[in-house]
Amino acid sequence: MANHHIPYALLHGMNVPTSFINQEGSAFDFGELEEAIVLQGAKANLLTGRTAATLEMFPSWPMRYQQTPGSSKSGGESTDSGSALNTISSKTENQFEPDFPISKKASSSYHQAFDQQNLQLQQQQQQEMASDPSRTGTSLNQSAPIVKPLQEKKRASTSEKQLDAKTLRRLAQNKEAAKKSRLRKKAYVQQLESSRIKLTQLEQELQRARSQGLLLGSSGGGVGNISSGAVICDMEYARWLEDDERHMSELRTGLHSNLSDTDLRLMVNTYLSHYDEIFRLKGMAAKFDVFHLLTGMWTSPAERCFLWMGGFRPSELIKILISQLDPLTEQQLMGICSLQHSSQQAEEALSQGLEQLQQSLIDTVAGGPAIDGMQQMAIALSKLANLEGFVRQADNLRQQTLHQLPRILTVRQAARCFLVIGEYYGRLRALSSLWASRPRGRLMSDEQPCQTTTELQMVQPSQSHFSHF
Amino acid sequence: MYCEGDSWGCYLPMSLRSMGSDPMERVVKLASESAVVIFSVSSCCMCHAAKRLFCGMGVNPTVYELDQDPRGKEMEMALTTLLGNSQTVPIVFIGGKLIGAMDRVMASHINGSLVPLLKEAGALWL
Repeated sequence: MANHHIPYALLHGMNVPTSFINQEGSAFDFGELEEAIVLQGAKANLLTGRTAATLEMFPSWPMRYQQTPGSSKSGGESTDSGSALNTISSKTENQFEPDFPISKKASSSYHQAFDQQNLQLQQQQQQEMASDPSRTGTSLNQSAPIVKPLQEKKRASTSEKQLDAKTLRRLAQNKEAAKKSRLRKKAYVQQLESSRIKLTQLEQELQRARSQGLLLGSSGGGVGNISSGAVICDMEYARWLEDDERHMSELRTGLHSNLSDTDLRLMVNTYLSHYDEIFRLKGMAAKFDVFHLLTGMWTSPAERCFLWMGGFRPSELIKILISQLDPLTEQQLMGICSLQHSSQQAEEALSQGLEQLQQSLIDTVAGGPAIDGMQQMAIALSKLANLEGFVRQADNLRQQTLHQLPRILTVRQAARCFLVIGEYYGRLRALSSLWASRPRGRLMSDEQPCQTTTELQMVQPSQSHFSHF
Repeated sequence: MYCEGDSWGCYLPMSLRSMGSDPMERVVKLASESAVVIFSVSSCCMCHAAKRLFCGMGVNPTVYELDQDPRGKEMEMALTTLLGNSQTVPIVFIGGKLIGAMDRVMASHINGSLVPLLKEAGALWL
């Protein structure tokens, strides 16, 4: 399991606990490698050959590796080659870039979590490094075993050195950096190991709990079947919820303290960007695991109950708002009602489109005597791919609806709207937690015959669940 | 006027229309001939959603199924270039003016600009 790349996001603990981004970057002994190259001249071919032989490729994710632009640069060199590397990284980033702009945070964690060595990229980099020996620190991700045998080989045949003081100093610095990298890597690997053990323990506990009937029903087909895309999605969502808490309390204070309209508008706009963030996140998640979104596994059970196409139903939300927003002027009431109406029409259209997709899928899967199994699956797969489009359009609808609110309402009313929405979902989440942890007495008691049909889930209550309580 | 079942109001056989040599020209020409034009693919469910949206509003869109036209592929490519690579059918024109793909259509419906456009193009009364 030498090259088992666990998502950084899952087990990150190196510097910033709440961030899913590995800020430090390199776990690779670059210093020693460069030293070897400088001493020997370019022999990149050997290196890439080794690289190809020893690195594992995980074929499932088409992600590109995101580079953190140059860590340690010594002296004043390497600006142009630095930019060359950054061009490569930005190019690969753009190759992946879907239609919506992704937040740096969410995309980084997806990039890093699914860093599957991009062999070409590394080969390019190594060519670059080889041709320009003054290049320094980048965050390559290779396993250390490659370097050592290479090094030994190089050291053995070290010949005449024409190194000046500058190069020597830089080499020393790199060695330092490399040592630090090694230590960090060691710490990280240890953390990985302990986390793996913890994970296995948790799974076993869960199994035991299930078999004892403490959990009725299952979470999406078993713990082992949660995709890593889903895990990342949930983690990013949890982080978003924490941000949401913060924004809401700011809004609340803003409203109570009679802030000026301009200041309040700023807050409202910030809150809107905060919402844009969740839609970007969902857009990413839809690419990796659309079922996770569609089945509502990313959200709490109570919210899941009222799920429409992977999220909230905009017209329902507006209904809630209308009841909470008195008094409204005639014009505002008309604006809101018209918004609700348009939303309903759009929802209806999307629902019918999805229905047609479902029907088409059913027909394919049900198959017929003439259809060959493999082909059937292939057709079904291509139809499934359309699901992402529907979730995206639904999210687009949600996003547009939220953006429309401050256009038809005063800024104070808009701020109140967002508070109402946030509190509403907070209560639903709290409800889910309470429901899951309510005392049950005898499980199959006579007085509660419907218990068995309820789909329950162990929900880990987070801080945000109880914040509105 | 609501659409019934599968009759979308107006399927014009494209072979009978005058042939523009350039697919983009053809697209533009077809787009300007009716108040609401949807370029679609018959198997595409999102296109179905778009059609449903307009029918639900009481509009009779003119639908061109690109997969059922011999020159449909070229037209589809022309449309893709027009909109940028990420955009795909359904693509909607109102009053000869390009609205865009599904997300633009939805966005303009939500922000209230779709209905005035439809009225202006004479596709919607009231």
